[in-house]
Amino acid sequence: MRETGADGVWIRVAAWTLAALVLLPVLVVVWRSAGEVGRAWEDVVENRLWGYVWHTMLLLVSVVLLALAVGVPTAWLVSVYDFPGRRWMSWMLLLPMAMPGFVAAGAYVDVLEALIPFYVWVRMNWGIDAFLKIQEIAPWVFAVAVLGTTLFPYVFLSCLAVFSRQAAGALEAARLMGAGGLRVFFTVAAPMARPALVAGGSLVAMEAMNDYGVVSAFGLTPLTPGIFRAWGEGEPVVAMRLAMVLLVMLGLVFERWQRGRRRFAGDAAEGLMGRQKLPRWLGLGALGFCLLPLALGFLLPGWRLAEWAWASRDSAEWAAHGRAAWHSFSLAGGAVLLVMASAFLLVAGQRALGSRSMTVAQKIGLAGYGFPSALVAVGVGAVVVWVSRNVPWAGGLALSASVSGLMIAYWVRFLAVGIQPVSAGFEKLPGSLREAARTLGEKAFGALWRVDLPLVWPAMIAGATLCFIDVFKELTLTLVLRPFDFETLATRTYRLTDEGRLAEAALPGLGLVMLSLAGLIPLTRWMRLSEK
Amino acid sequence: MRMHRNKAMGVLVMIAGFTAASMEAEVLHVYSHRHYEVDQKVNALFQEKTGIEVKVVNAEADQLIERLKSEGADSPADVLVTVDAGRMQRAVGQGLLQPVKSEILEKATPAALRDAEGYWYPFTIRARGIVVSKDRVKEGEIKDYADLAKPEWRGRVLARSSTSGYNQSLLASIIAADGEKAAEEWAKAVAKNLARPPQGGDRDQIKAVAAGLADAAITNSYYLGLLLSSPDPAERNAAQLVRMVFPNQSGRGTHANVSAAGITKHAKNVDAGRKYLEFLVSPEVQKIYSNGSFEHPISMDLSLGEQIGKWGSFKVDETGFGKLGELSAEATRLFDRAGWK
Repeated sequence: MRETGADGVWIRVAAWTLAALVLLPVLVVVWRSAGEVGRAWEDVVENRLWGYVWHTMLLLVSVVLLALAVGVPTAWLVSVYDFPGRRWMSWMLLLPMAMPGFVAAGAYVDVLEALIPFYVWVRMNWGIDAFLKIQEIAPWVFAVAVLGTTLFPYVFLSCLAVFSRQAAGALEAARLMGAGGLRVFFTVAAPMARPALVAGGSLVAMEAMNDYGVVSAFGLTPLTPGIFRAWGEGEPVVAMRLAMVLLVMLGLVFERWQRGRRRFAGDAAEGLMGRQKLPRWLGLGALGFCLLPLALGFLLPGWRLAEWAWASRDSAEWAAHGRAAWHSFSLAGGAVLLVMASAFLLVAGQRALGSRSMTVAQKIGLAGYGFPSALVAVGVGAVVVWVSRNVPWAGGLALSASVSGLMIAYWVRFLAVGIQPVSAGFEKLPGSLREAARTLGEKAFGALWRVDLPLVWPAMIAGATLCFIDVFKELTLTLVLRPFDFETLATRTYRLTDEGRLAEAALPGLGLVMLSLAGLIPLTRWMRLSEK
Repeated sequence: MRMHRNKAMGVLVMIAGFTAASMEAEVLHVYSHRHYEVDQKVNALFQEKTGIEVKVVNAEADQLIERLKSEGADSPADVLVTVDAGRMQRAVGQGLLQPVKSEILEKATPAALRDAEGYWYPFTIRARGIVVSKDRVKEGEIKDYADLAKPEWRGRVLARSSTSGYNQSLLASIIAADGEKAAEEWAKAVAKNLARPPQGGDRDQIKAVAAGLADAAITNSYYLGLLLSSPDPAERNAAQLVRMVFPNQSGRGTHANVSAAGITKHAKNVDAGRKYLEFLVSPEVQKIYSNGSFEHPISMDLSLGEQIGKWGSFKVDETGFGKLGELSAEATRLFDRAGWK
């Protein structure tokens, strides 16, 4: 039954208002970047643009390759073989998800310095050219390693779903017909996992493109820090044009992700496969292979942070950390309420009205996740500046204008994080329930509120948790849009790391990790349930 | 009877106490780019001496300037503090400061390093020198910034990113002295000599020279002072392995910038602001800076600090000082063209 009447109109108006708001930053950037800039843009095109684009691509390709090289084999080992520690690995390999890249970077920057004796040895033995080459490569190696080992769980997770459930039947059959492990992998598993690879890999690519903290810690200059720089130097139009370049690059990746996701989501489990026990030495090898990325992406940086935090506990500026934590909690809390309310409205509205326009509105809501953070930041930033200059009573309210801007930016970027679980939750519900409610005389809103909402509540909680964590550890948007003299745990960790105060940065960094870990618990529980 | 009298006294003291607490203490609002420990010490001392509480808001100078602009007449700020004369010049150009007439300030600060009309006054000197390895660089081998551009220094020089205001102001001073073309050539040659792509801050460059990665690094002198007095013994040891060079002594002098303060256009508390500016250049505070942050006193009186005394006297480049602000955009462009990241 389709909704008609006044309620339906209101739902439609609300949904389209939301969709328009998601598009606002992009529209602002498109419109403003057509403006005059004069010499500043020419200078950037002449001296920096090519470097930005080239470094972005290089970073992207290397991080994705590393994430695949780690994520695919570990997922394969954990789902197909039995080896000592396998059960532990199957959830521990998710831990790096709780380690924000810029926090891990803080635990590695001094290692780059500690390698100086090695560089000196290279200069003495291999000559100055080899030395200079290594100097150029070293920051890349570190940045790619940090991003790759903290982001690979996206690949691991999507492949695990394929290997251990969806493809299990085909794998089992291939094995029964006598194909060996590697052959099964390349002829059966890899082709079946392709959509999952694409989905996981594109998520990694998007995260890497949006990263600001890791690349700036190691002095790399892809587009995102380039956009920041232009914005900070008072060249908003240059920043916006660079953001357009990034939008095009990211748009291509996002589109791949959407396709990959569509193809591999939704498939039902085909059953579970018996795991093959590995001989002792091979088994230990498998464990070692899983432990390495886990150590690099989580255990090692986590341990160093804990050590530093403990050592600096007496001199820690608890009041400032506390204030920053309060800001993080309240921003994330506020953003989650906005995101979940909008996600519910978009998904439930689409279901109730079933109209094409509602489907489009929901798609637009999802697209926000594909916008580069830097673009959303400068787009919303431009609006905030405009409001505080042109709306007379907003001058004194600059703080609230800026906080609202930040909220809107989080909302645009992470609306998809709320929509997806809610939409999945709704798909499991029989439509007849709310139709019964409607027949019994409930109004459209009443049915949404009293029938649908309680039923999708678990999905709402899941979405809220994911969204809360995403906002809580968000750095790129926050750095640009935060109000004057205002810090969150993420910006504080970043700033202290940037100033070389690594030990002091450890405590707020560790706070971010702890909270993100708490958010992983529902995820691992779900995994264990699905294994049983 | 006695008891009663004591009680009465007690009540009186209490009343006096309440009145004092309810009378609002005078407050001075400072927007400052400086966020060092030594500044907190100085501000506490100011309150102790004058009873005026200093409330500081910290942010980058550009953000502070933007903020002053958008707040306009509603701004709570009385004083703006930055560590770059160019930024102060920009703030004056945008009508954000007001001139101050003060004999104390005029006497304490060199005319060449302050605003001619008194819109702002400097209070510390921040020299951008060169740190060299004691072992690997002979006395006199590096005397000028130009020496860093020589081909024999390939792979032996360190410097932070060209996005740093310190480097932009150094290159601006070279443009002012030698012209755009020579400045670009210099930047190009130094960029070619860098031992690694720019990363980290000045401290990191000094530590890397000490560890042997390169032989010379461009750095502000006070960072070496901070390392020499670091609570971390490894940093202290590293700092012992290098020597400070103040370049261009036979020429125009070493490039230096200043910490500077000015009273905002819409300050509510102009008197307290002037008192604060005068306090900053008083010998007592100058001594705190010389020994706390190791910046040079605005009078260049080296007897104020032990470490700066050891480094010895040097000539400060005053020639292009007034143009640092207007040339900094040009400097950024030249750095880009030179491939100095």
